[in-house]
Amino acid sequence: MTHYPILAIMAYFLGAFLIVIFGRNRAVRNTLGFLGTAVPLCLLIMLAKPILANGEIIAYWMGNRVPAGGYAIGIALEVDAFGLFFGLLIATAVFVAMIYSFSYMSHDDNEPQYYTLFLMLCGGVMGLVLSGDLFNMFIMVEILTFAAVALTAFRNTVFGALEAAFKYLVVGCIGSTCILAGTIMLYAQAHTLNFAQLAAFLPGNLNIATIIAYALLFIGFCTKAFLVPFHPLAADAHGAAPAPVSVLISGVLTKSGLYGIIRLTYILFRTMNLGTVQFWLVFLGSVSMFLCVTMALAQHDFKRLLAFHSISQIGYVLTAAGLATALGVSSGLYHAMNHTLFKGLLFLCAGAVLHETGTTDLDRLGGLSKKMPVTTVLFLVGAFSISGIPPFNGFASKWLIYQATYQKAVESGNIGFMLVTVCCLVTSTLTLASFVKVTQSVFFGQLPKEYEHVKEVPFGMRLGMGILAALCILTGIFPGFVQNWLTGPAARAVFQANGYIDAMMGAGYADKFGLADTLPVSFTSVGVWSPISWLCLLAIMLLAVAIVAITSKYDAVSKAAKQTDPLTLEALESATAAYLPTAPANPAPRYATGHAASGKYELFFGGEESVFSQVGGDDLFWGFKHNWRHYFKFMHELHSGIVNDYSLWAVVALALAMLYAMIIL
Amino acid sequence: MTIVLDSLRYLAYILIFPGFLFCFLTGMLLCGIDRKLVARMQKRIGPPVLQPFYDFFKLLGKETIVPAAANRVVFLAAPLVGLAAQVVLQLFIPVFSFSAFRGVADVIVVLYLLLIPALSVILGAASSGSPYAGVGLSREMVTILAVELPLVLVLLAVAKTVGNAMGTGLCFSLSQIAEYQAANGSLITRLSMLPAVAAMLLIIPGETGNHPFDAAEAETEICEGMLAEYSGAPLAVYKLSHAVKLLTMTSLFVALFLGGIGGAVEHLLVGLAPAIAGGLAIVIEIIILFLLCIVLVALCCSLVHAVTARLRIEQLFKYYWTVVAGLALISVVLAWYGL
Repeated sequence: MTHYPILAIMAYFLGAFLIVIFGRNRAVRNTLGFLGTAVPLCLLIMLAKPILANGEIIAYWMGNRVPAGGYAIGIALEVDAFGLFFGLLIATAVFVAMIYSFSYMSHDDNEPQYYTLFLMLCGGVMGLVLSGDLFNMFIMVEILTFAAVALTAFRNTVFGALEAAFKYLVVGCIGSTCILAGTIMLYAQAHTLNFAQLAAFLPGNLNIATIIAYALLFIGFCTKAFLVPFHPLAADAHGAAPAPVSVLISGVLTKSGLYGIIRLTYILFRTMNLGTVQFWLVFLGSVSMFLCVTMALAQHDFKRLLAFHSISQIGYVLTAAGLATALGVSSGLYHAMNHTLFKGLLFLCAGAVLHETGTTDLDRLGGLSKKMPVTTVLFLVGAFSISGIPPFNGFASKWLIYQATYQKAVESGNIGFMLVTVCCLVTSTLTLASFVKVTQSVFFGQLPKEYEHVKEVPFGMRLGMGILAALCILTGIFPGFVQNWLTGPAARAVFQANGYIDAMMGAGYADKFGLADTLPVSFTSVGVWSPISWLCLLAIMLLAVAIVAITSKYDAVSKAAKQTDPLTLEALESATAAYLPTAPANPAPRYATGHAASGKYELFFGGEESVFSQVGGDDLFWGFKHNWRHYFKFMHELHSGIVNDYSLWAVVALALAMLYAMIIL
Repeated sequence: MTIVLDSLRYLAYILIFPGFLFCFLTGMLLCGIDRKLVARMQKRIGPPVLQPFYDFFKLLGKETIVPAAANRVVFLAAPLVGLAAQVVLQLFIPVFSFSAFRGVADVIVVLYLLLIPALSVILGAASSGSPYAGVGLSREMVTILAVELPLVLVLLAVAKTVGNAMGTGLCFSLSQIAEYQAANGSLITRLSMLPAVAAMLLIIPGETGNHPFDAAEAETEICEGMLAEYSGAPLAVYKLSHAVKLLTMTSLFVALFLGGIGGAVEHLLVGLAPAIAGGLAIVIEIIILFLLCIVLVALCCSLVHAVTARLRIEQLFKYYWTVVAGLALISVVLAWYGL
């Protein structure tokens, strides 16, 4: 059993290398890819019982170089409940993305290279979350960053793919460099790179050097999680990357950044009890959450929109984790899990749309629900989940996050945390709004003529999406199970740094440093939500309503509807023109969003725009945006797409983090 | 045996009171009273109070047409899901001391359940493929966004006030809020709650889509927007949902701010035998609730409808996020400092 973690990491890398050698043949390649992702998933599931249920910690020393004289010399893997929780998430998402890739990538050139890079990325992330060693972590960061950059530009014929990869490369390297610099500074101070030893050494030695190292590592992991101000990279990368790669970047890679931040703050430095650190995390999380959801509202590309939402959800996780309460960490991890599931599902749906229609432009799509019914249903599951509609999983985790923030406000007597609750709730509604926009623009509405040949996607792709959709529903209906067996143990592990140290360095090691464990506060949930009883109620009610409806000829006389004069856009246009003789023929959008002026929403708002719209009636939610027009104009100018600007943001963020770190001290 | 009895009892809750039948009758009556009052205020004779019932049953007998561009399943299922969710929501709102399903949901859950009926209307409208519905749904979504912020603040203010008094810091359970008010008097009598009460009174017409906040329907402008393509039985179901929403929002107001009346009723019946008193109390409370709902509908919907003209959608949004949210925020701050 102690060998399972290293075998899981090796399976990915071995798969990658074997595909390079034997990957010419499709059957061999697919088999290797399947095994390369299925084997680690099975290994980690087998680890679930001892680690998550019994609370064991696996310490694995490569070549059996166990620590001698209180110094860890060898390279170590360490798997506690927290690491395994992320490992399981990653293995699941990767497995599904691999299944989906078989059909999705079958028309691409260079398939062996794709699968090689894919597995390298997976191996990198898995190595990162299971590693017990800071330098190993850095190496894994490098592997995953370069694999992700290469995968972003994999379809290099796509407009913007190379540019996105270049931006990612530049800012990603700034992040990796920060991690390396932080690692070096810590090594200079503590003369060790082992997590457990660092965790024992650092809390008592918070000086200017270690705290600067903390800031460096923190910013490094922020770039991996694409938190503000690194969010524009994610948008560009997702826009160009193939859908399964988007799943990896959003569901897996961002998790590695989150994992790093939580591991760093809770276990290595144990700075979570400081109000300044809590403020820092909650503030960063809330800003990411709100800023990115508003950016998402302004998007006209399916995948870019999803990319911004991805960071918005990561903001939720960071906010919850920054509360430093047991409920906060547990709800944050719950949301991290849900984010992997529903965002993976949504990206795969976007991929399915791209696969069939060749575009993800929301202004050109429409009415696909009749042609792709399964994808539509699966998309709706994902959209409901991310918007937090009960009883899907997003609701359960967001609901816990609200409670955690509110509880924190009450406990600390700080009204600021209550504003965070309000911010979370409003962000959730904004999320719903933008998914209504996607639903209306892609799956419902009028079907453009050019997409009348569109078919449902192949079975392999539907299977991948179906697995994630099923998981979304299951984790929403059984929140108690998730809390007791997945997020609960993981959150407890986060608070038990001494156990972590002792498991690695031998019992009693932590006591030598006189470290007191921050014992988790008990999980007190202040609200009530039982999805099963709610579902029963809804089912009975639906049955009753349906019986009444059917007996009253609800559906009996409905026509399969061949209207002699269907209401087309053209007909409406001429009708509107008749009512509005003063309407300009082609009103120029004053709020340019970088797409053709003849979007379909312009037509929807033809009347309003010509009368009083200031924002340009090309958007579904201009009533909202009109009031926020100055904000949107500012944001639009800020996100210039110039890599120099983004690098500058990175440097400014680093400088601010270092300055703030000195306040912590 | 007890299981059978219990399930029968719950079935009665779901189907009769406070579930389906109760919602149907009172919601429709409220709707009829609203229409009559508006007409009288505008010096019209107006329809009979029972007109919504006549409309409902007549619509059930009419032909149902599904547009060619529509996604048939979603188009037909959306009204049903919306109605079911609306009635389930009503089950969670306590009628003074009586709550059918305690310990199932709290304030945040109710906040989210309020979204489901609106969302099902939006999905149905989107699936119809009609441009009018498209305009309507975008305005409906903006209306939801507009109302959401003040509603959240109002609920937080109430949760904090009750939580302060109960010593738990916060209280999210609606039935606990009702119990607290039964013991300590209605929250409306608190000075700190008055801005929240005003905000909630303004939220009711917004949530139910009444004048002047009915930009999403705007029958004179976009042909009832989201309902443009609906006819026959699905339209009847939508009309019913809308009527139930009137009941839900007004009874939510009563549950949040006027819960003290329940205590007064129990106090009144204190001399009677417990079995009779319990039954009688519920009957009296239902009657009081219904009367209060009528008053609220007259105040927030009919009166406002009769004297105002429709706001444009961006005016609506601004109004809610500045005036109404501001009122609610004052309450939150006052409640936070324990006033």
